[in-house]
Parts: sequence; C-alpha cells; structure tokens
Amino acid sequence: MPLVTRFDTPASLRDLPAGHAFYDIWHAYLAGGLITTPGSGTGTGEFFDPSEINVDPVAERLLVWMGFPRTQFVTHRDDRRTAFVNADASVATRNLQNEYCEWFVKRNAAGLITKVTVVTETPEYWQRLWDADRSRVVALYRALVSPAVVEADLRSGGPGSAYNKFNRWNTTDGIVHFIQSINTLNAALGLAAGSVATGAARDGYEMPAVAPTSVDPRVKLDIGALSRKGLSITLREPIGIYIVGYDDTGWTKPSGAPVDNYWRIVRGSAGMVLRLEYEVPPGSGFVVGDIRIGGRRIEWGGQIAEHVTCMIGGIAGLRTPR
Amino acid sequence: MTTKKMAAAGVVHVAPLEMTIKPQALTAQFNNLIGVIGKLEPVFQKGVLIPGLGGDPAAEIPGAEPEPVYDTKARANIQGNTIPGFNKDHQQFLFFRLGNVRRAKAWLRWIAPLISSMEDVLAWVRAYRALRKRLGAEPPMCATWINIAFSCRAIELLTSRADAAAFGDQSFRQGLAARSTHLGDPTDRAHPGHRNRWCIGGPKNEADIIVIVAADDEPDLTTMANLIKAQAAASGLRLLFEQRGDNLPGPLHGHEHFGFKDGVSQPGVRGKVSTAPGDFITPRYIDHVADLERARIFAKPGQPLVWPGQFLLGERRQNTEHLYASAPPASNFPRWAALGSYLVCRRLRQDVPTFWKFAISAAAALGIPPEKFASMLVGRWPSGAPIMRTPGADNAALAGDEWANNHFIFDDNTRASSLRAIPGYAGDTYTQATADMLGTVCPHFAHIRKSNPRDIATDLGKPHDSLLRMILRRGIPFGPPIVGIKRPSPGLLRKERGLMFLCYGATIEDQFELITRRWVNSPIQPNVGGHDPILGQADQYGVRARVIDFPTAGGPRRLRIKNEWVIPTGGGYFFSPPIEAIAGVLAA
Repeated sequence: MPLVTRFDTPASLRDLPAGHAFYDIWHAYLAGGLITTPGSGTGTGEFFDPSEINVDPVAERLLVWMGFPRTQFVTHRDDRRTAFVNADASVATRNLQNEYCEWFVKRNAAGLITKVTVVTETPEYWQRLWDADRSRVVALYRALVSPAVVEADLRSGGPGSAYNKFNRWNTTDGIVHFIQSINTLNAALGLAAGSVATGAARDGYEMPAVAPTSVDPRVKLDIGALSRKGLSITLREPIGIYIVGYDDTGWTKPSGAPVDNYWRIVRGSAGMVLRLEYEVPPGSGFVVGDIRIGGRRIEWGGQIAEHVTCMIGGIAGLRTPR
Repeated sequence: MTTKKMAAAGVVHVAPLEMTIKPQALTAQFNNLIGVIGKLEPVFQKGVLIPGLGGDPAAEIPGAEPEPVYDTKARANIQGNTIPGFNKDHQQFLFFRLGNVRRAKAWLRWIAPLISSMEDVLAWVRAYRALRKRLGAEPPMCATWINIAFSCRAIELLTSRADAAAFGDQSFRQGLAARSTHLGDPTDRAHPGHRNRWCIGGPKNEADIIVIVAADDEPDLTTMANLIKAQAAASGLRLLFEQRGDNLPGPLHGHEHFGFKDGVSQPGVRGKVSTAPGDFITPRYIDHVADLERARIFAKPGQPLVWPGQFLLGERRQNTEHLYASAPPASNFPRWAALGSYLVCRRLRQDVPTFWKFAISAAAALGIPPEKFASMLVGRWPSGAPIMRTPGADNAALAGDEWANNHFIFDDNTRASSLRAIPGYAGDTYTQATADMLGTVCPHFAHIRKSNPRDIATDLGKPHDSLLRMILRRGIPFGPPIVGIKRPSPGLLRKERGLMFLCYGATIEDQFELITRRWVNSPIQPNVGGHDPILGQADQYGVRARVIDFPTAGGPRRLRIKNEWVIPTGGGYFFSPPIEAIAGVLAA
C-alpha cells in the first residue's frame, strides 16, 4: 500500500468544510506535482510520489533554513542595515524575500513597527481555494488582514475574473501568502525532486554551490546525501513549507527586561506554522519597534525574519514490493 | 490525512519521547569516575619528521589562486596570538581601565615594543623545531610573549569618536555586556552567570584594554605580568581584574576541565611567509596530484583552508559562494586597523561535578557507560579521538595522530586522505568514518558537530557558508583540575575552574556570535536534534533548560538538561590592532 493515500492540506488546514471538493482538488494537485524522479550520477536513489510508490520509511529529516534572505546578507556582508532595508523595501513584489518566507511590516504614525507578519503559505493553495469558494477567501482575508476587504479587491477584473495574488491586501496593505516569483510550492517540489541528481559529487564539499540562498543548497545537499545512499525520498505529510522555530533570546523591552512571548500562531500549529505574527499586546506601553534585539532597536521586519526558522520535512526509505 | 505506514513506522514527526532521569546520590560513582577521566594519553607517533617552515615546492598547486605573502614587515605588524597563536602553557590576562588618556598613551608607547608579532612567534617556532630535530628531543627553550587589544570605548578615548564609529562590526561597538543575553546568558539577575555579577566585562566593570602574557616558564610569566602591571599603575591605568590560565598538567595537557582534549580542530589560514614556493603559513599535507579537490580545500585532513581576511581586517577573504576562491577585502574599518583582528574573550566557569553527575545519571538511564555518553555530547573521546572514527571506545593512537584525528565528515562516507609523503609516518590506517547523516554516531547536538558542521548543510545552506564562520580559538583553562584525581577533596571541589575562551576573527557578529546564537544555542539549527550540551545556553522567558534528542536503537529519546555546567563569568569584545598602530595611532 502506498505511504500516502490522500494528500492533506498544509498543516491540515480546514478552511472549507470536511468533504468539500476542494480537498480532492488539493490532493490531485500534489499527486500531479510529485513526480517520481530517478537519481543520477552518484545519487542512486530517487524522489518518489508516495501516493504511488511503496516505501518503508527508515528516516525522517527536517530541512531547516533561515527565513531572512541569505542573498542580502552576503551581498551586503559589511552592511547589515542595507540588507535589512532592501529586504523590507519592495512590498509590491517582495522580490528579495526569496527563501520561501515572506513578511509584512505594519508601522504606526511615528514610523515604529507595531506588527510583523511572517507567512509561508503558497499561492497554489490560495488560488485553488479561490477557485473552490471565493467567498471563503474573502472571509479569510477579512479575518487575517482587514475587515475592509471586499471581493473586488482580490479580483483581476470584473465579477468572475481571476484571483489576483498581487492584490493590495497581499502586497502594499497586508500579507496572506507568497508572491515572490520563485516562492511557490511548485518550485519547492521541483527543487526537492531535482536534488536526487547529484552529478559526480561524493559528499557535501563536492556539491555544486547552487544558489546564494540558504534554502536551495539546504535541500540540494540533504536530499542529495540521501540519494547517494540509494534511498527513496519524498516530502513528509502534510506537505508544506513551514515555520518551525522563532527565537527571541536576548530581546528586551524598553525597560531592559526580557520580552514576554509576543509570538502568535495564526495559521498552522506549533512546529508547522504557516502564519506567524509578532505584536506587543495593546496596553503594554510600547510597540515592536521599541523592542531591542541584542541591544539594537527593531527597525525592519527582516530583523524578525532573521530569527525565524523555516522547514520542510523529508522522508527517506527503501522501496517495498506492492 | 492518511499516512498509515509513516505512523506505523513511528516516523511522523513529533518531539521524541522524553526520558526521565532520576536524581541520584552520585558521590561514590563520581569519585570513582573522575579519577580515570582523561587518563588515556594520546600516543604520538615517534620518528615522524614534521615538515618544517621554509617552503616545499611540491605543496604548490599549479594554477591555484595566489595567496598573499606576509613579508617580514607584515609579519612584524600582526600580533602573534592571532596568527599563529601563542599556544603557551601559562598565560596571564590583565584587564585594565583607562585613566588619564595622556599618561595611558605613554604606557602604550612603553609596551608597544614588547608586543609579540607573528614574526616573533614564527621565528621562535622555526628555531624550536630546528633544535628539536638536532637534539632528537624537546629543546629547553623558553619564551615570553605579550599581546594587547582594546575595547571600542578605549579606541574612542585614544583616537576619536569617528575612528571608533568606523569599526563596522556593530557588536564590537556595543560590547559583550550589551550582547550578553542575546548570546543566551542569563537574564535573571540572581543567576550567577548574569552579566551584573561578572568579575570582568559587566555593565559596570568593562575593561578598556586586555593584555595577554604567555610564557613557557611560570616565573617568567609572573615577572613580565608584574612589570606590566607596575608600569600600568604608574601611568594611571586601573587593573580591574586579572586571570591566570594554565594548561592542565600531565596527561591532561591540552584538555579542558571536563577532561576532553580541546582545540583539536582549527582552520588553516591561507597565505605565505615568503615568496618561496610552498612556504605557506599553514603547512599543506594533501597530495594535489592524487586528490586535487581536497588539496584545494584542506591544509591537512579535516583542516579547511580559509582566506586570511576572515581573521585579519583588510585582507582578501573567503568567497561566500565558493570553497576555495577569495573575495575582496572588507573596508569597514579605519585604515590604520588593517591587519588587526577582533578578539572575543569569555571567562567560562565549569562545574565539573554537575556535568559528570548528569552524564552518570543519563548514561544509567540509557544503559551505556558514562564516558561514552559524555563523549557523544562532545563528539570526541576524552583523548581527542573523534567518535565518528572510533564509535566503540577511545583510541589513544588515533588521538595522537594529527593527520587522522580530525579527518572525518558527517553526511557521507569519509574517503581515505591522499597525503604527501611525510617521512616516518605510516599513514592513516584507522577505520574511516562512515556516513552518519542521522546523527546516530555523532549526534546532531554534539558540540563538535554544532560548532563545526563540516560537510553538512546548515540553516544557512552550504559548507561554503560554514567557512565564513570559522574562528581562531586561543583558549586556556584556569583553576586547578579535578579530572584525573580520585576522590577530590571538598576544598578542591570548591575551587573555581573553567576556560578562558578567546577567539579571533574579522567580525564578531558573523563568526563568534553566529556560531553561538544560531547553532550552539539552538535546538533546531544547524540541524534539528537539540542544544549543544557543552556550550549551548537557552533563556526563553527565564527558562534555561536545554534538550538533547539522544539516539537510541529505538529512535531518539529526549533528555531535558536542567542544570548548567558552563557559566559565563566575564569577558569582553576587543580589537587587537596591528602593532604599528599601537604607538603610531593609539598612543599618538
């Protein structure tokens, strides 16, 4: 029997009632996107579709990476301020937030940050949710971003037109899911599947450098190493890109006292977070922008993303007869 | 969700089951164990002629990117504890506060000629090796060396606010006390490790200057330290604190107080001592004809080569996307600071009984010997032999073999190294490490895996990035040992002991702090599996318990570590300037 008989939604979200056709659509999307791919070179394993292939799992591995774009840190390796400014800047496209982690910064009239929202939700999910029940999408936007959202805001044109992922509530006025061009579940699946081909590399030192991001080499090296062991590899259910950790060690209130726990999981669950908010409760007398990290005031959302750890889960095993 | 087989196989990810460790009265077990820890002395191979300095043309890789040459003038300008390191058995650390700036400058002019350079240290090492070769035994040579470094405040007082602000490393400008809790140090003011309680480097007792005195001979050390203190006092400098450090005696030489060999793994600094072919600062042992890829990356097995700009300001540094190509130097510092380094000093108190009592209890719960358990926390056996190469038991011969004791990777099988001919060396004949991607041999939490991920991917991506994080460690223990002593007396147990942790780098934030914050202190970075149980700290909303997911035959079991055995008690962030700048700029 295959490892997975039906792919679940990320973090097992239930945005629509149980039994809704949306869940079949989501399963079909993943089943179509997960293509069994043989390894090559020193990678003698394979990437497999767990809804089709029988594999006895022998290992699980969580692949973790920093939410803030490494590209910005290494491009501005002597100037972290510029790295943070740049990564926060392009709210209309978030094109520099290329680690499967995007964020939105809310500021008060004084320019101080009041809330940072970090997401790892994919456009594929929201597109299919729109196709299944656009009124539900509107309701979710209202709950997540603003009560002012109306359906017309989310469309590309008149009634019945397509979902516009670059709508104002997912760009300049808020965030719901990824918009950066390569932050898609499809790209993540492709990256994972392609990583079983390892060329002539015998170990991590011999793997090509690939992208300057954290996530690409992370996936390439980990899946490549599993492939070199002849293992069959797939992504762990429920398949998704998650926030697995967030660290506020050494963050202080204006008084100098350690911060309390201001993180809030809005979608997903602990260990499989899809939407994470950082906001000081009203009445505390200060806001996020008054908090200091290691003595430095929070001025950009990227400072929070630097302390967010993202993850996809991998499963490796050996093929078994049907 | 229907993941039947995953659930059946127990691989759906949940936190591993926690194992309860019963508190026990462990005095008898501790007394018996502590007496034998570290007694296995590394066996050094006899008759091996370590290639001396001076150049070996065969070490040059044809077509390789040229490495910078540090001529006599440059070598005389670089402080010797940065490169190649003092490595003396006795050291004294003097922490001063500036008084009258004009008088302090006079003292700086006095001490500047005494500062030991890279040239001094390399020349001494060269002479020592030559004499050892002639004698066939350790030569009776002694040296006393001095280095100096300055806080950002001191640089501002001695030069200008603009010069101090020109140092690009913000952590340096802030100082260790300001960064303390971000490094996981206690936030609770009642905790003995809280910065307000530090003997040096807290908010109210930050040092402006650290002077490092190092000697082979104890009286020499004392004489020199006393002279410096007297001159400093006469110049209005206030001695805030001083700390003596000594290598542990006998078979524990080079070990830290828990009993483990320390400092086995260091990066190899690229660069040459002269234009003579093969005259490298770090000798090259990999045969590039037999294994070009490894020879490009490693000086000797397990010792990666790193461009000097990772440690010396203004020098070409590691390319962020390449394992052996260089990148342009940094420029975010005052011009006069070129060839200087940032210096991190952490005074870490070690609670040896608490560490070993935890090891005894946990090992009992797991059904393994305590020494094995503790070695899995470190990643090496007490002798220094890597657990990756000898998982079953310590191995004194492997520990003493410098071409083998650091030769292993984690995620794939380690292949035999291709060494150039080393006269008298029989070769690395020990069993090579096999792939341990899941951390069942050397766990993900093991100190050496956390702080030096080698070939594995991290939360920052590829091993290329890990080379950017490497530091030059120059630590030395302080206080009397209790390992190796059977039934240590209550008086001895009460005495303070620990490690003066020192490291040099070209940034504090992206090297020392990154290793500490992102890896050592994190249960999920660079890989999921727990905190570094040796150096790691946790302090989330005042909770300081750490966890490790210990590998067992039935899958990982979570152990919660409530006690702490490494407690920060002082330190500072400093800048170790080029020697010319001491008299020429800081004392001008």
